[in-house]
Order: sequence, then C-alpha cells, then structure tokens
Amino acid sequence: MRPRRFFRLPWRTARQIRADIDDELQFHIAERVDALIALGTAPDTARAQALREFGDIDDARRYIDAVDRDIEAAQRRSDFMSDLLHDIAYAARKLRASPGFTLAAIATLALGIGANTAIFSVVNAVLLRPLPFPKSDRIMRIQFKQQGHGDASTPMDLVDYRTQATRFAGFSTMEPTTANISRDQGDAERVQALRVNANWFELLRVTPLVGRFFLPGEDQQGAPAVAVMSEELWRRDFSADPAIIGKTLRVNAKAVTVVGVVAANKHYPLTVEMWMPKQFDAQELSDAARGARWLGLVARVKDDADVDAARAEVTRISEAMEKRFPEDFRERRATAVPLHDYMVGDLRKPLYLILGAVVLVLLIACANVANLLLVRANARESELAIRAALGAGRGRLIRQLMTESVLLAIVGGGVGVLVAKIGMTKLLSSAPASLVMAQHASIDATTLALTAFVAIATGLLFGVLPALQANARQLASTLRAGGRGQNTRPGAHRTKQTIVVAELALAVVLLSGAGLLLRSFERLMSVDPGFKPDGVLTMKVALPAVKYDSTAARNLVATIEQRVRSLPGVDRSGVATYVPLDNSSYDFTFEIRGRPVPRPSDEPASEVRQVTPEFFSAMGIPVVRGRGIDATDIPTAPHVYVVNEAFAKKFFPNADAVGQSIRMDWGRDPKGATNQIVGVVGDVHSFGLEDAPEPTVYASLAQYPANGLTIVARSAAPATLAAALRGVMRDLDRDVPVYSVMTMRERVDASVGAQRFYASLIAIFAAVALVLAAVGLYGVIAYAVSQRTHELGVRVALGATTDRIARMVIGEGLALTVTGVGIGIAAALVFGHVMASLLFGVSARDPLTLTAVVVALGVVSTLASWLPARRAARVDPLVAMRGD
Amino acid sequence: MSSQPLDLLQGTLDVLVLRALAWGPMHGYAVSRWIHERTDGVLTIEDAPLYKSLHRLERAGYVAAEWGLSEKNRRARYYTLTPTGRRHFHAEEATWRQYAAAVFKVLEPA
Repeated sequence: MRPRRFFRLPWRTARQIRADIDDELQFHIAERVDALIALGTAPDTARAQALREFGDIDDARRYIDAVDRDIEAAQRRSDFMSDLLHDIAYAARKLRASPGFTLAAIATLALGIGANTAIFSVVNAVLLRPLPFPKSDRIMRIQFKQQGHGDASTPMDLVDYRTQATRFAGFSTMEPTTANISRDQGDAERVQALRVNANWFELLRVTPLVGRFFLPGEDQQGAPAVAVMSEELWRRDFSADPAIIGKTLRVNAKAVTVVGVVAANKHYPLTVEMWMPKQFDAQELSDAARGARWLGLVARVKDDADVDAARAEVTRISEAMEKRFPEDFRERRATAVPLHDYMVGDLRKPLYLILGAVVLVLLIACANVANLLLVRANARESELAIRAALGAGRGRLIRQLMTESVLLAIVGGGVGVLVAKIGMTKLLSSAPASLVMAQHASIDATTLALTAFVAIATGLLFGVLPALQANARQLASTLRAGGRGQNTRPGAHRTKQTIVVAELALAVVLLSGAGLLLRSFERLMSVDPGFKPDGVLTMKVALPAVKYDSTAARNLVATIEQRVRSLPGVDRSGVATYVPLDNSSYDFTFEIRGRPVPRPSDEPASEVRQVTPEFFSAMGIPVVRGRGIDATDIPTAPHVYVVNEAFAKKFFPNADAVGQSIRMDWGRDPKGATNQIVGVVGDVHSFGLEDAPEPTVYASLAQYPANGLTIVARSAAPATLAAALRGVMRDLDRDVPVYSVMTMRERVDASVGAQRFYASLIAIFAAVALVLAAVGLYGVIAYAVSQRTHELGVRVALGATTDRIARMVIGEGLALTVTGVGIGIAAALVFGHVMASLLFGVSARDPLTLTAVVVALGVVSTLASWLPARRAARVDPLVAMRGD
Repeated sequence: MSSQPLDLLQGTLDVLVLRALAWGPMHGYAVSRWIHERTDGVLTIEDAPLYKSLHRLERAGYVAAEWGLSEKNRRARYYTLTPTGRRHFHAEEATWRQYAAAVFKVLEPA
C-alpha cells in the first residue's frame, strides 16, 4: 500500500532522483561535521571523521538510487490508476447529468456495435472458425473438372488415388442418399444420409459419442449392414438411449444394425443424420465404369506431408490417368480443395459484403455520436476553460474527454451485445439453407473480444475529434469572453459539417448497395419460372427398392394418381421423378440417331424426368409442339420422349425436334433401341430462377418406373391439401415416408431464400444508415439555427421574410446533402463492381437505382432541414435580440 | 564493507529505525543520533546501511518521506512512520522480544 497523499508530488526524473539523494547525504555529513566541530574537533579532521562514520557512501548512493527508482515507478502507476478512476467517476457523473444525450449516444452505439457483433459472429462461425475436426486444414475435397461434366468422381478414381497417392492418409467416397427409417408405430421418417467408405470417420478424426464407427471391411460386398447416426437424430427419435447400439432398425426396408453415434455438429455434412458404408460391386470397380461419375471424393493429407505438395500430387495423378485413359480422362483435371473452402465457397462474398455494410453503419453511428459530442463540447467550453485555468494540462483534458467517450462506447457495446443476442435469433431463423453453418453461430469469446475491441476503438474514433478541439489556448480566450462558450468558433462548425457530409456519403453507398440488391431480387422474382407455381402442392416419397420393383412402383403410381385426383378440391394431379427447383439433377449423355457417334467426352447430355400424363397440366407447363406424355404411353407401346425448348434449340437448331430419335445412356433400353421425340414443352427453371433452363428430356413414368417420386396436385387451396395428401400415402403403405411437402410457391421462395436474406439484411442496414444520417443532418442544422438566433432576429428585424429565412436554412442543409450525395455516388460507382457477381439482371451502376437513392436522400434531407428551418422562421426578432 | 552477516544486520537495523521513527518524524541524521545515543555506543552502526534501510522502508510503504527545513534552515528529508509501518513495527517488536527472551533463557546459568 502506498501512503495516501492529499496532493500529488510531481513526478521525478532520474536526474532529479540522483540530486535528491546527494542533497540528503550531504545534509547528513554537514550536520555531523557541525556537531563534531561543536565538540571541539578541528574542522578538517571533523569532515574526515564524518565520512568514516558514514561508511561506503558510493555503495549507499547506488543502492538508494535503485530503491528510489522503484518507488517512483510505483508512484506513477498508482497515480495513473487513480487518475483513471477519477476520470471514470467524473465522466459517469457528467453523463448522468445529461441523460438525453447519453441515451441517444448509447442507443446509437448499441445499434452499431450490436449489428456488428451479430454479423461478425455469423462470419466467424461460417468463414473463420475452423471445422470441428483435428488438423481440419488437411481434409481435402477432390474435384474433377472436365468440359461438359460435373465435378463428381467414380469408384475407380478412389482405387486410383488410394494406390497412387503417397502424401495422403486416406481417401473416401461419399454418396448422398436418403434413409427411410420405419418405426413400429407412427409414420416412417426420412433423414438425409450418406454412403461412405469404412474409413470415413477416421479421415475426419472424430471419435464416437457412443458405440463405434465403421470397421475396415464393412464397406466390402457381403458385409453386414451397419449404420452410424447423428446425436441429433439419436436424441430426437431415440431419446438418447445408449441401448440403441446393436439395435436393428428398418432402413429403406432393410435391416440395419446401429453401431455408433457421432456427436452433434462434429460431422460432415451438417445436414446428414445417418451414415452407411458404401459397397461397390465388381462392375463398378472395373475400367468399363470410368464414365459413370456420381460420387464425392474426400481425403486427408498425412500429418507429416506438405499440404501444397499433396495438392499438386492430386493434379499430377489425374494427368497421368489421362495418358492411360485418353478417352474418359480427356482434359479431366483433379484439384484438391480444402474442405472448409469447398463448403463456404459461395458464401464468402455475400457475408463479407454484409460485414462491410455493418461496418459502414457503425462508422455512421460513430459520426453521429462524434457530432453529439462536439455540440456538447461547445456547451461545456466554460467548464473546460475553468479546469484548464486551474492547472489541468491539455493532455489531461483530452484524456478526460476521451475517457468519457470510451465509457460511452463501452456501455454502448454492452447494450450492443444484448441487441446482438436478440438480433441473432431473428437473423438465424430467417437464414437460408445454404447458411447451415451459421446455425452454430454464437456470441463466444472471440466475438466478445472483438466487440470489446470495436467498442474501445469506436470510443477513441468518435472521441478524438471533439477532444482535440478542447484546445487549452482557445479555452482560455473563452473564459475571457465571459465564460459563455456560446460563440462557436467557425472551425468547430466546419468539423461538424464535414462529419455530416461523410455520414451522408456512407449512407449513399449503403443505400445504393441495398437498392441494387433489392432491384436484382425484384428482377429475379419477375422471372417466369416456366410453370404456374400458385395452387400447386408437391410431396416427395421414396419407395424402398427392396419392396417395390418396377411393376410394383408403376402400379403404386397409378393408384396414387387416382386417389389424389379424387381428393376434394384437386383439379389435376401428376407424379414425376423430380419437380423444378427441388435441387435435384439427374442427367445422362445420349446419342442422336443419324449423327456420327462423338468421342465420349463430347457426347451431348440432358436432364431426364419421368412424368405421368397429367404432370404438365398440373404443373402448368405448356405443350409447345406435338404432344405431351399420354395415357397411351404404356410399357407395351413404343417408348417415346418429350423434350423442352432448350433441348430442341440446343440439339436441333435448324430442324424440328419432333420426329427425331435419340437414345439415352441410362441403361434402361434394349441394345440399339432409340425413342422418338413426340413433342416439345415449355422450358422451366429447374435449378434456380437465375440459371438458364437446362435441356431436359421427359419420359413416361409408366414406361420408365422409378422409386423416388414427387406427387403434384393442383387445387384452389393447396395448403389445406397437405394432410389429405399425407393420408393417401399412409393408407397405401405406412412404411413409405413422405417428405418435403411444399407448394411450388414455397419452392420458388426457398430457391431465392439466400438472395432475399442478403437483400433484406442490407436493406435494414441501409435504412438504419439513412435514419442515422438524417438525424445527424438535423442535429447540425438545428444546432446552427440555435446558435444563429441573434443573427436571424436581426435579419427579420431588417425585413427578411419567414420564407427567406426558411430557404436560407434549408439551403445550408441541401448544400451539405449535395456534397455528401455527390461523394457517395462517386464511391458507389467506383466500388459497385464488387457487387456485380451478386446481382441479377441489374448493372452495378444501374442509373435507376442511383437516381432513386439520390431522390430518397434529397427528400429525407429536406425534411431534416425543414424542421429546424421552420423554427428559424418563427424567430421573434425582439426576443432573439434581447435574449442575447 | 561490513563484515557482519547482512540479513541479521538488515532486519535488526530496520526494527531500530522504525523504533526511532515511532517516536516522531525525523530526518536521517536525527535517526542516526537517536540510535547512537540509545545504544550508548555499544552498537557501532555506520550511516550508509542506515540510509539504505530508510529508503527500503519507504519502498515497502512503512515510512513516508518529505522534504522540509532543519533547525538550521538546511533542506532535509524527513521520514514519518505510516500506519502500516506502525503495525509492522509492533509485530516486529513482539517477535524481537520473544527472540531475545528465548536467547536469554538459554544463556541464563541454571
């Protein structure tokens, strides 16, 4: 404990410390010499005796010097802390004294900081936080790139890489599938599942929560059927009962033994809830099957291998394979992409854009609070002048004012965390499916640390200008001027104007960004999907293959169609393998009769859908030429195809597609057989409104039965039909789960969910920015008016009309607005291109959007200056002139 | 340089200095004289360790120092016992008395 002093000792320099020690020791010697002389000792011997009695004086000096330096340092530390505590107490007192200002500032900051915290926690969860696997940066997704093909791989790719790659600890394929879990009572449940190799969990390096993962060999033909489930499924359906291990479930109508549970969120992909070994048959593991690509390939780089070298090795192997299989591998290149990059690839840009937007909002919030502080600083000039006169240095005053602003920011940040917590709930509930990783976003230590940093940085940022204005010299003149502190220096007003211009410019940038996204969203929504989404209910069913062979499936489809059609309110009903916008792709290469056989990698390819006759009219897809699928297209009749316009245009640009014959390479037709194209139907946007329609072939579901089906029913009230539709399926077979019961309108909405989410988020931030900027403008103009009451009074007295006064005040506001908007538009034009890839059907410099932004800001600014202008116009010259 | 064991000397000297200051604020020279007179010259204490002790005690917060003027109008550094220092002195004093009593008991001819 330091002794408490009632006044502060000035800090001592090292030189002063040494001088003090010399003084003290010399005093001692002098006193002793005097005493010895008084006792009768001769003066010259007295001095020698005093020094002898003293002992080693140089050693003492060195020792005392070191001790005194310690004392001095401790003193400085304690002075600093007590100053800080004093400043904080003083700042808190001052802030409490003006609750209006304090609340406005805290609310503004809480909004700015809270929005940043919420968005950052999402960015952190999705982009920054590593995947929940040990050394996750070594897990790679292997992608194949080849003209005209997807990035999928084959079973033989797995064999190739396992035998040739030296820098990898292992490879596994993955095949997304569904698991229909039957239960003794109640409906069957369908969950997303993944078929993988036995080393899958070993690659990820996760340990089972309960039980075990797959054993080597369980992915071989003839191995017993086993499955691993996610903790989510285990808790939801099996009440987290550990006895689930070893239990047999009926999955896809087959007996499967549960061997383990994987911890929640510690798996990939996040949406999958059941894993089963993938067993390849001999045919799939032959060179002949190198063309059938449908698998994902995942690998882990060895711990002691160089990641870049390992990635290069992947590409090198694919090049070597091209030499061995020049047909199948022509220009087919493999790249190893870190799994995390693979997962977040498309999310990076919009998320950083949103983060940028909230940072702008925070900057505007800072600007507003800085302006509030400036106004306050003017009002407090006399207080500061008195403190300066009492000896507070400029640095001390700046520190005091900065303490006040940092305190404001910290309180604002604290409230901001609450704002973020509330905002996050709303944010995540409306997040699109692609942001599944964001669902694990939370305000964790990283986020809180960043928030604290942002809060303090914010406090320094908005506090530094007002603090620097507290120039001691000018303050002294304020005091001389009678302590009124009301005569604002022109420089101070200029600072406030500059801040408002900056705010307006930032708001313009945000508004134009939001405008462009909203306009591109509106463009997207106005795209004709090619079908009539209103009034159509769809429902998916997955028929277990072991129970339904093709005849059984065909018969069930006929029964379903007939039952659904007879439901009250149903106008039309159909069944198809896939419906538009259900994120399913089912494509095959094909040959056109009468054309030379192309090389394997040049073969044309097309999506294929099997449908029942009424599907087109139920979905509202028009038949453009020829006919659709008919009731006469039964197994015994000649097999036919209907194609869409994109198909006809792409493959028969100069001829009529109807009457041509093609052969799909999907292994369902006798050798050499071709099917005639009997009609052309309208295009639909199958994969997204922003994507061009893909060439599509429609076949008769009766001629080509399938197990994965979507039931389609058109009715006046589709939403109320869901229960009846489920009932139909339950009556027919309660082991067949129904899922994805959605109207087509809902599918359209879901397909633009991401765009809607990003656009509305940016729009909210832009609206906040606009309001903050308008408030900032209002504040500056209103303050200027209150400062000029006297002058305005004189003008009125000299005959200025109220109109003239109002125009003058609004003029000042508009001058600021024009400058701010000008700068903002210029910035929007320069930086607009970063948004280009997120826009649809709108240029990043869309003149209409930019004009709308200018008009909106003009209107808001006029309003913000009109309110103070009205007050100015009402100035009573007598009161104004007397009052001053 | 002193040939006595440093730690014993240091601890002893600190207690003597605190005792001197318990009597009232004084400068270093006065402390030196006070101890000298009280010990009747039995203990020959050099002034160098005494000043070291004073500053050490200041660093520990047991004494506070202030510049003032001596009786002869010389600038002198005056030391005052702080409340912590007073408590520390009383504790040390008790320990010393116990220590001395124990030593005496051993030396007493039985």
